[in-house]
Amino acid sequence: MPLTLSRAVSAAGDSTDVLAAANLPVLWICAAGVFAVIIVQSVIYMKAARKAAPAAGITSAEIGISFRSGAVAAIGPSLAVVMVAIALLAVFGTPAVLVRIGLIGSAAYETGAASIAAGTAGAELGGPSYTQNIFAIAFFAMSMGGAMWMLATLLLTPLMKRGGTKLAKVNPVAMAIVPGAALLGAFMALGIAEVPKSMVHVYALATSAAVMGLCAFVGRNPKHTWLREWGLGFAIVAGLVVAFMAHTAAAPAA
Amino acid sequence: MSVSTSVSATGTAAGSEQQLAEFDRTTSRWGRATMLAGLAISMAGPLYLIFFTGLDISAGQLWTAFAAVAAVFAIIWIVEPVTYFPILGPAAMYQAFMIGNISSKLLPSALVAQNRIGAQPGTRRGDFAAVAAICGAAAIHLLSLTVFVGILGTWLISMIPPQIIDVARLYILPSVMGAVIVQSILTIKQPRITLIAVAMAVLVQFVLLPLAPGIAFLTTGIAVIATIAVSWLARDRKAATAAAAK
Repeated sequence: MPLTLSRAVSAAGDSTDVLAAANLPVLWICAAGVFAVIIVQSVIYMKAARKAAPAAGITSAEIGISFRSGAVAAIGPSLAVVMVAIALLAVFGTPAVLVRIGLIGSAAYETGAASIAAGTAGAELGGPSYTQNIFAIAFFAMSMGGAMWMLATLLLTPLMKRGGTKLAKVNPVAMAIVPGAALLGAFMALGIAEVPKSMVHVYALATSAAVMGLCAFVGRNPKHTWLREWGLGFAIVAGLVVAFMAHTAAAPAA
Repeated sequence: MSVSTSVSATGTAAGSEQQLAEFDRTTSRWGRATMLAGLAISMAGPLYLIFFTGLDISAGQLWTAFAAVAAVFAIIWIVEPVTYFPILGPAAMYQAFMIGNISSKLLPSALVAQNRIGAQPGTRRGDFAAVAAICGAAAIHLLSLTVFVGILGTWLISMIPPQIIDVARLYILPSVMGAVIVQSILTIKQPRITLIAVAMAVLVQFVLLPLAPGIAFLTTGIAVIATIAVSWLARDRKAATAAAAK
């Protein structure tokens, strides 16, 4: 019997006011908690690195330089992630976006997982059937996915440390095929599943793909490498803008 | 540090060993502990939503959703840690898989730092530079997420009229997937597998699904398994044996 602590959620969770549920204070606290854990981890690691620096043949000053150059190098990619995250706020609310898109996961995996999870409940992510219940199921599935990633890291890292990288050498031919095939199969299927929904979905899909392709192409020029990391953000926004125009042109009242 | 110079050389070497062993102990113990904490807190959010807010969700729905996601991504969960371990080293593994955006942000940061101080990747010096660089990248990342997404983004969303939010929400999935497809084609660079993936996705969506509408939620998983199976059967055996002979 669920204990109801909040009025932001409708009686049976079939309200489509997803953001009311997605921005509950407890979820903000959990997001802040993940931030805090990463800060604590960084502080422990920096202390440990400084302490053992001479033994590793690196000076304390060089540790500082490394920290600063890592920070500066991350500015561009971080802001690129920010752009993607803001575009997804309307679907997942701020706390879930901060943890899932900003940190642990990535836009590709998390929206993929959320869409698959919504599908198992007979709903469409972001569509008219996207209720508070569906959001909770999607958020649960995304978080479990991230948890599995961390679990695999926790179990495999000590194993690989002991046995070197034997695991990757088991079958180099399989390692060359399976990961690529799994990723391409997943995203191709998720993309093509959008095609039958409506012509506007097709426009959004095609625009996003075209902008990404363009950014990657222009980004080959060493002068414009920044376009490669910003491609995803630009592509999502362009897809949304085109979809918005097509949608309002089709139904001006909406 | 030591009393005599002759002892000093061996003494420092042993001291170094000990210091490095202590670094490994600290980072693996605390790395694991913090990652477990991160895992627990990241699950606490959705579990709170499910159990304490009066939503009407059954355990069956949750497990079905998780199983469908696992069918698609389980292989990646295993493959990614295995792929990044040789580059990151054991200490940074516990950072990287919690901070995320490994290939687009953390690896470049680590490389820039190693380059800056002239450290080789894979050496102790390189590992330490990478750990410090990832800490720096994490600091910037948390800061920009807090300011631009947490504060500004939330404000922005509250300013935008709800009708526009609804339309954005409706078309966010195709707007993400179009770019992600192109990105994965360009990163994986395997035209043969790309074509097989397109064929399998089209077959599943437009042939299999109309025949058996009940499998709707399994389609992505089926497409993944079919793509792997066909890519394996249709692999370029000549190139593979040539590579193995090398």
